[in-house]
Amino acid sequence: MPSVTALGALHALGSANNYDDGQQPGPGLSLLQTLLIYVGIPALVFAVIWVLVAASSSSRGPRYRPGVGWWSAPVWFNGPAEPDAVVGALGRPAPDSSGNTVRGGGASARW
Amino acid sequence: MGVAPVPAGDAFTARQQDDVARSIRIAGQQAHLPVSVYVGALEGDSRSSAQQLHAALGAEAARSVLVAVDPASRRIEIVTGTEAHRRLDDRAAGLAALTMTTAFQAGDLAGGISSGVLALAEHARTPPSLHTDQP
Repeated sequence: MPSVTALGALHALGSANNYDDGQQPGPGLSLLQTLLIYVGIPALVFAVIWVLVAASSSSRGPRYRPGVGWWSAPVWFNGPAEPDAVVGALGRPAPDSSGNTVRGGGASARW
Repeated sequence: MGVAPVPAGDAFTARQQDDVARSIRIAGQQAHLPVSVYVGALEGDSRSSAQQLHAALGAEAARSVLVAVDPASRRIEIVTGTEAHRRLDDRAAGLAALTMTTAFQAGDLAGGISSGVLALAEHARTPPSLHTDQP
């Protein structure tokens, strides 16, 4: 009979704090620590990824986007020696002195 | 507007300029097709403006192909000279223009120009050799 009461008391003790053998509860997290771990660290990871993405795109400089427009000065690759005079005369009806162009062909496209 | 305008002179990065210049060089060396690429506004009638630009190539104009891209009005004009037209018909020029518009729609200006120039070089037929030394 006394052994049964001892068992019951032991059982009551075990269910009171619910700890296994060798388990030692820590002091618990303060509010600041909880915020740092569950909000601060994810925000930091987020910021690092954002910085990596933004740095790679800003290093390439501004890029052309369809529909936004174009403000840049004209560029002519493999053009004539004095491109500025030709580009400046664009839009004005110029006499087509060389017949090379008109008799050729080509293509037009829009996007 | 939210999107920074492309400042003057910074239309292409140095690497993009290298890419375009390399494709022009490949077209010149492998297909013997001089290609000139103009990126800028085509005032007024874009076709006649592009033809003016092509005529400005001078003595090389007959052999040359001019690719004029106007990003503001979203137009491409490909002008072939008389000799270049023999090697590059309008269908091939249209295919190259299609290659470029596909890339331009995605915002890839330099890549579209490079691949378009390479497409022109690929479609340029070699001129028939005249065997004048044979009977």
